[in-house]
Amino acid sequence: METIAVYWEPRIKTYGFQKLTDLAFVEFSYPVHEMKSLGEVLSRDELRGVNTKFMIAQESDGEASFIFCLPVEEGKAFRESLEKNLTTHRYIYPVGIIFFHGPHFGDRYGIADAAFSTLSNADIEVMASGCSSASVFLVLVQDDMDKAEKVLGEAFEVAK
Amino acid sequence: MEKLKVGGLKQSLELCQFDLRGPDSSEKTVSKISKLLASEKTNIEFLTYNPNSDKYNQLILCVSQDKFSSTSEILKRDGSPTGWQITWREHVGILTVFPHHSAIKILGVIMVSWGTQSIPIHGIATSLSAISFVTDYHCIDKAVEAIQHSFQLPENRAPLKPEIRYYQSDIVKGE
Repeated sequence: METIAVYWEPRIKTYGFQKLTDLAFVEFSYPVHEMKSLGEVLSRDELRGVNTKFMIAQESDGEASFIFCLPVEEGKAFRESLEKNLTTHRYIYPVGIIFFHGPHFGDRYGIADAAFSTLSNADIEVMASGCSSASVFLVLVQDDMDKAEKVLGEAFEVAK
Repeated sequence: MEKLKVGGLKQSLELCQFDLRGPDSSEKTVSKISKLLASEKTNIEFLTYNPNSDKYNQLILCVSQDKFSSTSEILKRDGSPTGWQITWREHVGILTVFPHHSAIKILGVIMVSWGTQSIPIHGIATSLSAISFVTDYHCIDKAVEAIQHSFQLPENRAPLKPEIRYYQSDIVKGE
């Protein structure tokens, strides 16, 4: 079955921008062939209540790099667990996340272009990004959050 | 032991994955590449970007498998900044898990389960209510079985595989 969805929008519609601030940014790398042992650490009950707001993992040259953004108190427990069981990590505080989704974002081209071009043109640095399940997540320096919301709000149309 | 509950599973169609990495610290690279793919009417189904890694900046994206040739051509021709390297996997898929809570624990359980069965994880990204895993397409069924074995899924869960494929057309109704 083939379904053709026709969209033509002067500005891409979104369901609105959501922001999270005062988050802890934790980054570390781990050997891909030892992923199971990392899984054993992450699946321990002591981390059961840790609620990550953002996570990406990328693989390259036998290593997987992970980025987590968590509320600061939960970030503390997460870091303690990493220090006890794993490896060194990079920590930045505070960072913010702005995220949004819209109609058929997962099926349409041009969404990432609109988001990244808008931020690039406004000289806003993206610290990390993850786009999946029809959502766009952008990790930013906390001081850039309001500016990012403003320029993205001009580039995209927020459905009323 | 009682299994953790998850709200459901969703499986993608067949995709391909491109991995771009290099020394340029400017996010303008992502802007340039996403613009190139938009100009080719190519939907990016999965994207992760880390510009601050110790070694290099890295952008990973997945597009539909039928866009492999056109995407690799355009990335090689126009998308690669000086010093950047492009590698790819031709046949991958995304498995998306919808956790109710305990996302990190669920992530850990999946890493253990897949690691035990040598199911690779080529990328992970979270959204508000989901965790998406990129793996080899030929491993998807095995990966689904591993998750079904490890978690308690609702009985009336939505179908795992997409039944409808959407394309974005240039034709505007009424033209």
